[in-house]
Amino acid sequence: MPATENQPSFLGRISIRRNQIIAMDGNHEQELEDLELFQRHIGDRFAELTSPPDNQDFPFSGESFLSISWLRKLVDVLLCCEAEFKAALIMGRDPSQISKPPLDRLLSDYMERAVKALDICNAVTGGVDSIRECQKLAEIVVSALEQKPFGDGQVKRAKKALSALMSASAIDDKENNHPRYAERTWSFGRRGNNSGGNHKDRTNHGSFRSLSMVVAKNWSAAKQIQAMSSNLAVPRGGESTGLVQPVYIMSNVMVFVMWALVAAIPCQERSGLLTHFQIPKQFGWAHAIIGMQEKIGEEWKKKEKKGSAGLLEEVQRMEKLGQSLIEFADGFQFPAEDEKLEEAAAQVAELAEICQRMEEGLLPLQQQIREVFHRIVRSRREVLDLLDHGKVSQPII
Amino acid sequence: MCTFCIATIISFSKFPSVVMPGCQSMTTTYEGEQHVIAAAQHILKVLGENKSLTDDFRRVLTELDSHLSAMTIITESKRRGFAEVEEQLKCAERKVMRWESNPSLIWDSGPTEASEYIQAVNEIHTVMETLGGLSMNDHGRPKELAFRAQCVQQIAMSRLEEELYHILVQHKQSFELKNISFPSRVDFVYDESFVSVEDEIINDTSQRDNSGRESNEYTVDLIDPLLIPDIKSIASVMFASGYDREFCEAFIGNRKDALDEHLSNFEIQKLSIDDVLQLEWDALSCEIKKWVWAVKIIIRVYLASEKRFCNQILGDFGSHDSYCFVEISRASIFYLLNFGEAIAMGPYNPEKLFRFLDMYEVLADLHLDMEGLFSEVANAFVMSEFHDLLRRLGDSASAAFLNFRNAIALDSSTHPFPRGEIHHLTRYVMNYIKTLTAYCDTLNVLLKDQDVDDPNPVFETDNGQDICTSAFSPMGCHLRSITSALESNLIRRSKLYKDGSLEHIFLMNNIHYMVQKVKGSELRLFFGDEWIRKHNGKLQQHATSYERATWSFVVSLLRDDGRTSLKERCRRFSNAFDDVYKIQTRWRIPDLHLREDLQISTSQKVIPAYRAFLGINSRNGSDKYIKYTSDDMEKMLLDLFAGSSMSLRNSRSNSHKW
Repeated sequence: MPATENQPSFLGRISIRRNQIIAMDGNHEQELEDLELFQRHIGDRFAELTSPPDNQDFPFSGESFLSISWLRKLVDVLLCCEAEFKAALIMGRDPSQISKPPLDRLLSDYMERAVKALDICNAVTGGVDSIRECQKLAEIVVSALEQKPFGDGQVKRAKKALSALMSASAIDDKENNHPRYAERTWSFGRRGNNSGGNHKDRTNHGSFRSLSMVVAKNWSAAKQIQAMSSNLAVPRGGESTGLVQPVYIMSNVMVFVMWALVAAIPCQERSGLLTHFQIPKQFGWAHAIIGMQEKIGEEWKKKEKKGSAGLLEEVQRMEKLGQSLIEFADGFQFPAEDEKLEEAAAQVAELAEICQRMEEGLLPLQQQIREVFHRIVRSRREVLDLLDHGKVSQPII
Repeated sequence: MCTFCIATIISFSKFPSVVMPGCQSMTTTYEGEQHVIAAAQHILKVLGENKSLTDDFRRVLTELDSHLSAMTIITESKRRGFAEVEEQLKCAERKVMRWESNPSLIWDSGPTEASEYIQAVNEIHTVMETLGGLSMNDHGRPKELAFRAQCVQQIAMSRLEEELYHILVQHKQSFELKNISFPSRVDFVYDESFVSVEDEIINDTSQRDNSGRESNEYTVDLIDPLLIPDIKSIASVMFASGYDREFCEAFIGNRKDALDEHLSNFEIQKLSIDDVLQLEWDALSCEIKKWVWAVKIIIRVYLASEKRFCNQILGDFGSHDSYCFVEISRASIFYLLNFGEAIAMGPYNPEKLFRFLDMYEVLADLHLDMEGLFSEVANAFVMSEFHDLLRRLGDSASAAFLNFRNAIALDSSTHPFPRGEIHHLTRYVMNYIKTLTAYCDTLNVLLKDQDVDDPNPVFETDNGQDICTSAFSPMGCHLRSITSALESNLIRRSKLYKDGSLEHIFLMNNIHYMVQKVKGSELRLFFGDEWIRKHNGKLQQHATSYERATWSFVVSLLRDDGRTSLKERCRRFSNAFDDVYKIQTRWRIPDLHLREDLQISTSQKVIPAYRAFLGINSRNGSDKYIKYTSDDMEKMLLDLFAGSSMSLRNSRSNSHKW
């Protein structure tokens, strides 16, 4: 899918009437109407994500749940929601309105969540890098087994890359292991046992490995999500006027998207990810989100036991294909049966197709996540400025 | 129809499986060929004699035709070569397998061993190329050999990967960070209480960091250059064998580790953004300094060297060198940029200005280096991240600068500053802006679009040519605006004194300090002579006001108003003088020249009046009422503003201490 199609024009979707936002506190009806509109947009956008792909005949069109292109859509939805939220919050607003309790406190909580989301963005960016490393290994497998006909040599070549791929994708993020660690050991561990002192350099290169991980040593994605959602209280009746609801909704949207990214993409320390975040069921806008959350939760439970690189559809399929290709390689004897060869060829073709999708999708996804990063930074700045202005009660010109 | 013909054709059409069953050698096929040729000649003869064909015959001939077109003709030379090829492969295989049981590394065992190994791998490749020219559709001898070659090749490739890794690790050259020094500026601590900023700390600052673009040849050898041909030969043979991916991944992985290790030498704490925003400023400032240094070394020295190294090794293989370079460096670049992003998120306290400027300047300075490293279109996003951060740091610096002015304007106190001395705020502000002059080029760029209310605009004068550039610069305007905020602040503070005279001493001290700082440093260029003249004028005004406030009244007591007796006048004068003496010896003018100037001008106002008074009244027998001679008094005036309370008795005997 071309990148442009993935960038819906959010400006076109903002239909909150700005001149009416300016309406003062008194205009309660207008505020309710705006709120309803905001909620409906949130609900609609997420509902679009849950609807099945248009082309049912072609199951691997790349649009399936938790696939790269699905995640890209998810990130897009976050960007759209954020833009609309910011428009409602900032544009044409008298800053003194938002610097009053309870909004000032809620906004500062929101800002803290945003900062934590930034760290998650960075961690996920690193996770995408490690998936790309898996992709490179898979490409080696493909290029070995794509040769026709192939013999023992190519099978061995593929097997070496496959076992690296499997250990890389089966990282245990609790140990703060980077997939590259596993990769490096396959490549060069072969003679490690029998060569003794000659290779001592190879054994001690684990100490600084984590440095290229973008986050600090004891940083935990799960704890971060927990911290983001812990003070996320449902606004009570009296509070739920004005901007209190949008801040609450946007917080949920942000936490959910970050949560989904952490579940899908390798991240440092994710144990207990499931328990940390629950969205109350009573809200209309939350239905689609809750549906997705449940679905992801189920997947997570299945995978958590095994220890996995994440729920990203492509990675999961890659793991599965890798497993059966390893079996194929282990049992390979020349000349191989045609049936087995055909089966393997089909798997290689599928792997090649996944690699292709990763090649096309991962860097754009990474850049989108970066876009989220910058957007959050910018919005945070603007809101902080607004709060500052509000304190000295100077209207923004 | 000739049944022999059909039988011959049928056997001919099965020829490949008949004459080349599995492992039969080439020589046995020769005899079979002779038969076939005879049979074919017979068929041609029969075909020449018949005008029509039976269906059967036509079918067999068609089959024959398709067989012929599917077959590659084995030329005589190929046939002879085949045995050679097999021998070549066996030989290469022996060389490769010999090392498999050897625990030592090939490249450690000497150049001959290494080049022999490379030679063997090349031979395998040649064998495979030759065999590739033969038909692979069958299950014959060439195919078997090809698979065998593949196997040996795979073993050799694994081995080369390992050797490559070993060379890269073993011959990695670390460069001493100490040898590459970029001067860093003094740290400036912004203290809310404005205390303890001593001039001395600041005096040796403002050395411009001039290690700029002129000497951009900072590249070093990250790997022993003697090993480059070896690594290149491994690259060559791996690329030729279609193992380019393996080479690149191994290379990238290793070089990435090396870069990580190098980065760790800078001992930058790994902090999440959350951590950065919560860190104490002192600790953060320390991290920033490490960062500034690391960014400069990593980008200007390390990555430039890495890029050169990638090019040396992979320059001959298309775009692989830039691909590898980007993969090696991307995570680290983002790691460094992310720290910058976290810092630029604020808050923009004035004390951060210098660090913001350091960060901004180092990135601005590295702009061309970055363009050189990431010039490819595919890396546009790296450059755009870099530019974004540069812009954000610039904005942060501007914000901190403007906050500095606001902080000065808003800083207040309810207590008068003791002894009318130079306020810490004044020292702080002047030293702060003096340090800022070192960043003037940067600040001129950053402040260009910031509106400023310049209270002392510099007007072009005919004689001010040399100073006008700096004085007119945005920095000049902003600095004058800052000192004007400072002056307003000082005036506000001066109102806290109950004694109007001390108000003037306080302002004199502080304005004098400002003028001295401006005159004695680069600041002069930004403030201009007009500013100095104007402020010297203010000093003079305050001196006059002081004299009027203190001495006009005292001297007036000497005047004969016709109602007060001489004795009373003498008494009142002495008491008033003693009071002034007692109070104002406690006040302090730390600058000796300023103190002397004020004492002299005070003397010039008081002493002649006193002498005149004594002269007029000497005849009236006033001696018994006169407490001080004019000389006593002159000496006593020299005790004023020394900052130590003198008792009157002491002062008479020991009058000129300072």
